[in-house]
Amino acid sequence: MTNDAFFALGAALAIGLATFGPGIGQGLAAGRAFEGIARQPEATGDIRTLLILSLAFMEALCIFGLLIAFMLFGKIS
Amino acid sequence: MDGMIPVVASSEGGAIFKLFGLEISSITTTTWVIMLVLTMACFFFSRRLKAIPETKVQLIAELTVDTLLGFLGSIMGSKEKARYYFPMVGSFFFIILASNYSGLLPGAGHLPGFQAPTSAISYTAALALVVFFSTHYHGFRTHGIHYLKHFIEPHPLMLPLTLMEELIKPLSLSLRLYGNIYGEETLVASIFAMVPLFVPLPFMLLGVFFGFIQALVFTLLTCTYLASATAEAH
Repeated sequence: MTNDAFFALGAALAIGLATFGPGIGQGLAAGRAFEGIARQPEATGDIRTLLILSLAFMEALCIFGLLIAFMLFGKIS
Repeated sequence: MDGMIPVVASSEGGAIFKLFGLEISSITTTTWVIMLVLTMACFFFSRRLKAIPETKVQLIAELTVDTLLGFLGSIMGSKEKARYYFPMVGSFFFIILASNYSGLLPGAGHLPGFQAPTSAISYTAALALVVFFSTHYHGFRTHGIHYLKHFIEPHPLMLPLTLMEELIKPLSLSLRLYGNIYGEETLVASIFAMVPLFVPLPFMLLGVFFGFIQALVFTLLTCTYLASATAEAH
């Protein structure tokens, strides 16, 4: 295998693995938020804001993986 | 660090002309246009303001600003506090929203001198640095020298961790915005290269949604950082 193959494999693994954790985490967070809204519809506004905030923090991890994937992708000659 | 260079270079497109020895890239010219549009919008919406709104223009402007202010107020604790920081934080929201949406206009990223500014890391890093310095400035302004105490708050041994946290905040703030917009632009471009008709449309709609969410998230995080830096000591 040449170096290019390793770069391509690394890029695919970087984005693939980086979406794995945040995907599960965001699913859990969103599920719990909906549960909370269903129990207490009057708290919808607060819950939504907190949900967006926490999703943004999880999203950042995935984005780091995406950037690493782009970086590796740019190295393929 | 070597691998960082092609990404940054390719995402910024290089200089298109020089002005007084400074290299002017596509994102700079797009930012000028956005500045012009936002300034003109400000003049248009703030013309002939009355205590009791008479025109629809003033109603729209008041509704927009009041909704955003109320939303930020619920984050920062009180509407007065949000109103104090609103000139900076609100400007962030509108300029990031305009920058994100400029990438959805036809020709963005292909025509020279036209590229979404938020799809370049230098632009988002500049915004995040403004947040970083203003957060600590307002922290010192509120608490004086006692502001330094919050770095050793739970325990002095935590100092390296809290310092690292402060430095990671602007890093993640800039990378989140840049990665989202650059990733979305690249996605639409590569889908467009595969199937030019109709198929990219849902992804561009997703781009409209994410552009708004990312602008909101940047503003929200700025607000939480400001709120935690200026919070009353317990």
